[in-house]
Amino acid sequence: MTDQNSHLRSEDVNVWFGERHVLKNVSLEFPSNQVTALIGPSGCGKSTFIRTLNRMHELIPSAGFGGKVLLDGEDIYGEGVDPVKVRLKVGMVFQKPNPFPTMTIKENVLSGLKLSGRKSDNAVELVETSLRRASIWNEVKDRLNDPAISLSGGQQQRLCIARSLAMDPEVLLMDEPCSALDPGSTRRIEETILELAPQMTIVIVTHNMQQAQRVADQTAFFLAEDGNPGHVVEFGRTEQVFEQPIDARTNDYVNGHFG
Amino acid sequence: MQRPKGNQSAPWTKIALKTRAAIALASIVPSAIALSILFATGMDFMAMLFAVFLPIQVVAAALVGILVYGRRGILEGLLVVVTIFFASFIVVLLGSVLWSVIQNGSQAISLQFIGQNNYYIKPDTSLEYGGVGHAIIGSLLIVGTSTLITVPMGLATAVYLTETQGKTKGLIRTLLQAMSGLPSVVSGLFIYAAFIASGLTSYAGWTGSLALIPLMLPTVARVSEEALRLVPQELRNGALALGAPAWRAFMQVTLPAARSGMVTAVLLGIARVIGETAPLVLTTFAADRTNFNLFNGAMASLPTYLFGFISMGFDESIQRAWGAALVIMILVAILFTTARLASRTRSKARK
Repeated sequence: MTDQNSHLRSEDVNVWFGERHVLKNVSLEFPSNQVTALIGPSGCGKSTFIRTLNRMHELIPSAGFGGKVLLDGEDIYGEGVDPVKVRLKVGMVFQKPNPFPTMTIKENVLSGLKLSGRKSDNAVELVETSLRRASIWNEVKDRLNDPAISLSGGQQQRLCIARSLAMDPEVLLMDEPCSALDPGSTRRIEETILELAPQMTIVIVTHNMQQAQRVADQTAFFLAEDGNPGHVVEFGRTEQVFEQPIDARTNDYVNGHFG
Repeated sequence: MQRPKGNQSAPWTKIALKTRAAIALASIVPSAIALSILFATGMDFMAMLFAVFLPIQVVAAALVGILVYGRRGILEGLLVVVTIFFASFIVVLLGSVLWSVIQNGSQAISLQFIGQNNYYIKPDTSLEYGGVGHAIIGSLLIVGTSTLITVPMGLATAVYLTETQGKTKGLIRTLLQAMSGLPSVVSGLFIYAAFIASGLTSYAGWTGSLALIPLMLPTVARVSEEALRLVPQELRNGALALGAPAWRAFMQVTLPAARSGMVTAVLLGIARVIGETAPLVLTTFAADRTNFNLFNGAMASLPTYLFGFISMGFDESIQRAWGAALVIMILVAILFTTARLASRTRSKARK
């Protein structure tokens, strides 16, 4: 590791979908044990960017990539790097809760281990700690063998977080994790994020300005104007981005004048 | 507040008396007119159905539509009548096919008919002797072997079409479509020419299994492709984001989620070939003895048995053919029910 505080870093990330250039020269630093929020209007490439951090964007057939993403100083796009191995270290929670419908709650938590072909010596303990870390243990401890889809939307999302946490990732990526949830569930998930922050690097995409202010240490504002590819307009400490933005467009966006 | 009892709980289901009367009239009067014309003139029933009953019924429905809903009711009345008419037409058609097979077949069927084989049976032998036992065994062996070979192939094709980013997907899909239009006799003829006429083997069960594969494959592949396509992309993403290699994500997440569709794919594949006659006549030929060996000698199957006896033309032989038809139907029904029950109990046991 070259820089103690720079756990994850992107250098000049560019993404194309077919001929369309959607992200241009995104260079961001995600220090250890901090929460970074990515904000910006729809279609500005922030979801695409967060997917490049664990190579999930490669699932889109026409995607092209340029640049570097350094995890512990090592480029995850380097030659011979297996994307599967990258995703073991960089977990992801999606916009829509996606628990595996054919599995029980318990099986969902352990699914990551099973899916990566590993065995757990203390599965029972792992289930409990993971669910506790996602602050859903108390709600589901008596029904671990119920199907996961019997949970409410907010519970499903926290189960998905628990599922990622069971893999003990170094980085957790969250792509609008609360956009499909009610305010109560949103609050629970924000609390979870704040509890997890001291243990791992978290990157969260959000459309909710207040949410970014509540959970994030630093914030990056993405924008794609007039057919130009998306890029970072402003990146800094959250208070600064929201209270004394340097760029006028950031000011307009965080104050709700557009987007 | 208490939930109101009965119809009041759903006010929109209330129908005014006047409307009820109009609907009742509109459904009784056309049938009455049509039936009286039928008896008075003695015209053909089908002609009456389409030339007299349907037009009158359509007009009546349109009139009631106007009465109840005003002008926008015309189209609604028409749609209701046309839908119900053609739906019941199909149901009656299907029911009469089933009924004639059950009626005629049940006279032939007995324990002895199901159990015995056809050795020493002449076309006019009484139905107290002989049966389709050898043909049931033959059908199960031949179709079972085809299924064992085709299902993995069809599944692999479906996986290629849905789970990969292969470049020849369009070509494969076109080929599958072309394959599903392949006349079964051509498939049989090909196997016959390649293996039997060329002297490689004499008539044998396995050649029949081979001939059925191209007929079964497109059905299995396309139906399982649809089943896999119905699995939400989010589930695959979720599995891959957990660091799963693609094949584990497929085996442990996508496939279980598509299980009931997969069972359907296999069932439809079997249903597609279990009644195939032409390819089997050309490859397994016919036999009157029980043959358990797929690799040696001619083998009887239910469709070839049926075909053989119906072309003999004796009363008794035609009876046997009806019996065989009923046995095929029962076999398919048993197969479908067990497969459905099996896939259901397994998914329940997981909960």
